[in-house]
Amino acid sequence: MIFSLNLSFSDLLLLLPEIFLTCWLCVVLIVDFVSPRLPKEQLAYLSVAGLVITLGCLAWFDVNHISGALFGNMFVLDRMAIFFKVFILGATILVILSSVEYVNRFTLFRGEYYVLVVMSALGMMFMASANDLLSVFVSLEFSTLGFYILVAYLRDDLASNEAGVKFFILGVFAAGLFAYGISLVYGETGQLVFSEMSSAQATPGLIIGFLLIFAALGFKIGAVPFHSWIPDTYHGAPTPVTAFLSIAPKGAALVILLRIFLVALASFKPVWVYLLVAVSIVSMTYGNIVAIAQRNIKRLLAYSGIAQIGNVLIGLAAGTKMGSDAILFYLLAYLFANLGAFAVVIAVSQAIGKDEIEDYRGLNRRSPFLAFAMLLFLLSLAGVPPLAGFIGKLYIFVAAIKEGLYTLITVGLINIVISMYYYLIVVKQMYINEPIDPSPIRISAPIKTVIYVGLAGTLVIGIYPQPFTDWVVEATLMFSNFVTPAATALPTTVHVGG
Amino acid sequence: MLEELTAGFPILSCILFLPVVGAAVLWVVDDEDTVRSAALTIALVELALCLFVLLRFVPESAAMQFTERVPWIPALGISYHLAVDGISVLFVGLTAFLTVLVVIYSWDTIRHQVKLYMMCLLALETTTMGVFVSLDLILFFVFWELMLIPSYFLIKLWGGGAERHYAALKFVLYTLLGSVFMLVGIALLNINFHEWASLHHADQAYSFDFLDLLSVPIPVSQQMVIFWLMFLGFAFKAPVFPFHTWLPDALLEGPIGMSVVLAGLKLGTFGFMRFSIPLLPDASKSETVVTILVVLGLCAILYGAWMALVQADLRRLLAYSSVSHLGFVVVGLFALNYQSLQGSLLTMINLGFSTAGLFFIAGFLYSRQQTTQLSAFGGMAKQVPLLATFFLIIGLASIGLPGTNGFVGEFLILLGAFEANWWFGAVAVLGVIFGAAYFLWYYERSMLGPLGTAVRVTMSDLQIREMIIAVSLSVMILWIGLYPSPFLRIMNGSVQALVERIHHDQTAAVGGPEIQQRK
Repeated sequence: MIFSLNLSFSDLLLLLPEIFLTCWLCVVLIVDFVSPRLPKEQLAYLSVAGLVITLGCLAWFDVNHISGALFGNMFVLDRMAIFFKVFILGATILVILSSVEYVNRFTLFRGEYYVLVVMSALGMMFMASANDLLSVFVSLEFSTLGFYILVAYLRDDLASNEAGVKFFILGVFAAGLFAYGISLVYGETGQLVFSEMSSAQATPGLIIGFLLIFAALGFKIGAVPFHSWIPDTYHGAPTPVTAFLSIAPKGAALVILLRIFLVALASFKPVWVYLLVAVSIVSMTYGNIVAIAQRNIKRLLAYSGIAQIGNVLIGLAAGTKMGSDAILFYLLAYLFANLGAFAVVIAVSQAIGKDEIEDYRGLNRRSPFLAFAMLLFLLSLAGVPPLAGFIGKLYIFVAAIKEGLYTLITVGLINIVISMYYYLIVVKQMYINEPIDPSPIRISAPIKTVIYVGLAGTLVIGIYPQPFTDWVVEATLMFSNFVTPAATALPTTVHVGG
Repeated sequence: MLEELTAGFPILSCILFLPVVGAAVLWVVDDEDTVRSAALTIALVELALCLFVLLRFVPESAAMQFTERVPWIPALGISYHLAVDGISVLFVGLTAFLTVLVVIYSWDTIRHQVKLYMMCLLALETTTMGVFVSLDLILFFVFWELMLIPSYFLIKLWGGGAERHYAALKFVLYTLLGSVFMLVGIALLNINFHEWASLHHADQAYSFDFLDLLSVPIPVSQQMVIFWLMFLGFAFKAPVFPFHTWLPDALLEGPIGMSVVLAGLKLGTFGFMRFSIPLLPDASKSETVVTILVVLGLCAILYGAWMALVQADLRRLLAYSSVSHLGFVVVGLFALNYQSLQGSLLTMINLGFSTAGLFFIAGFLYSRQQTTQLSAFGGMAKQVPLLATFFLIIGLASIGLPGTNGFVGEFLILLGAFEANWWFGAVAVLGVIFGAAYFLWYYERSMLGPLGTAVRVTMSDLQIREMIIAVSLSVMILWIGLYPSPFLRIMNGSVQALVERIHHDQTAAVGGPEIQQRK
């Protein structure tokens, strides 16, 4: 393979968001270094400003349909990459805003916290554009590096340290699997770029290689059976980091899964559909059943996140253009509901200092706003209409029914009922039980902003989803040519369960 | 002309969203009395709007009227489509009517968190209206699911029983379980439309619209699958025997207002009549479905009546009598002829007056004795003659005495059932006898005879607000009982079209385009 490194100005333009954000990262670091007396909130707002400018740049790309590929197809900027970059930046902005107050709990390196968050985001932006196995590997490790530190940021807290160590060991293990998988795939096909693998033959080496890669990405999205790090890490990590971890890496890993399954492995769909159906069923069922027994809200959200990923995998198992539309839409809905819920958790733990579900007793009396926001977020996660989560689930189910995945759908639907049960446990604590300490809860302005954004997203996407469906339909146009022959052939070839 | 003035005015949207907007307005009101009067005003305005729709409704027509239709999520073929026809328009009026009465009833019986209660009640009204007026299946499903949330809070926060937490959760999870299967059925309908549309190169790839789905043929085997999926949704909600176990708990533990809505508005059987039967006529008339559904209905009639016979608690008795009455409705629906369908529809409306009325009576008794157990009653007719009289009138309507509304409905069902198959009718008639037995026996033990030991001597008779409720219910009962033809005329067109669709051909339109009050 020969890489030509003749970069023109227009090529650099495609990298503009990443280049800009890298420079901005350095600026934040320098500002933190040269003026140590500067209040750390200012650093947060400075980071947010940089992210917003990047977001604006991406929006400009999207409107002007700027796209292209660099470095021999290692880096692509297509509509889907732009969608996921916007998604990751949005999540990062909300996470930084919800950290502003929380950061005071850290004893040291408060300024570096923001740098690390933005650095991880930068890594994930590269993931969104990564179009071959090597660039996936490098960008994946780059973003995870930031997370290794962030998870263990509460230096004096044992749980946080434990979370950091667990996340690190399992993360490194996953990276090893990934590297091994790449070597096998490269050995069998001689290719690293996804779009050039589609003509590969199914040899044992290739199958094992892709299984290893799937395992490593499964680790990132936290699908069963690669989920074991999730509960402890979510529980121990600083809550804003948990929130970040629960959404952004999942989005970044899913874009790679979409590229692998729908581009590189498109011709093997009748085979991998069984793998995805199995992982999806196990994730949903395990996540939802174990969530029932949780006493800690962060663990509850961790398990509910595992179950939500099971739902997303339904869309991937459908393996069509519509399925990928549904995944993108579902992630949008999940972004607002999940980050909103975590923002409420942060606000409550600022006031109470704990994250047990028991502490949500009578939240409605203490802060009707927080309780109502949490209610809507949980109902959206459960998929109650007319909130965003409902349209997301509906979209995914319609895509899967169209492919005849009836077993998967049945399990998914029963899981909705199970999930309703534990979401209602929290609702009951907030609305029915009387508070032990009835003093009102004060909410800081940045957190309030995050909650308002979450509420607006959850309601607007639910009630007027058309602009968002249009957006995701356009973002996945690259899959439409592949889907047409497969979709007509499918009903006769694949009937899982039936 | 008034018609021209109102054409294009989105009156159904107003009806749909007035209560929930009102509920949002209540949020800022602090004073409890203001909350009560504001809620009553909203409910009355809503009732006035519904009466206007009923008066402007063109009877003897199968057409969908007051149609409003705009795309909502075009990518999935979901539209915001509201309309009423002869099947749904009466429920719209009934919902508004019952909500007014519940607000009046709750005036002094709800003492804590009045504002939240009224907000939940109004939100519940919006969602119920939504179920009746939606003609897009997803829109319908949205309201169907949303209904659970205010109901959950109503049962949990204002329920009287010790088991109310359990009852609320059971209610939500049971209904949700049924409705997720219904959602699969709805999605299959959409996929079927999609396959047909791509075969015929239609402009629209996906549609959840009721009228679009009606126009597309569905293979019989697929109709059966969809029918049973939707059956689960409607059967849990109705509830059809043997899916009824949440009902006694919810009705016993919840507040009276909630029980009135739950028992008075027969959403599940409405769903059968609105969606299942017209969309899936071949499945609905297949022998398997008819046999199973009618047998379930007959079982419900007998089981409900027997269980009601031995209940000592009035609210439990009413819960089982609801199950029994729903059995009649189901038998009527699946006897599938003109009389039986008309009877079923009328009976659903009637139950909104009689069963809901009996729950109000139970509420009146509860606020006097703090319980609805038989042991607390006895010989009360001497103490509270007015209450006893209205109890008798509404109760006789519920058992179908000639001259009351119950008679007209049940008679039509029995007529249709005999016509369909004589033994359907024969078994159903037994239910009428049992029904008379459990009600009259309970009435005798609670109201007649010597004064019960637990009855307080200083008990007052009906107050002015209670009189308003009892009298307005009785007027409706006697009106439908003695002069039902205005109501039957409203239903006729749609029921006729439904029968034609079942028995003749797939293409007979249930909602013909003749009279469309389009913008």
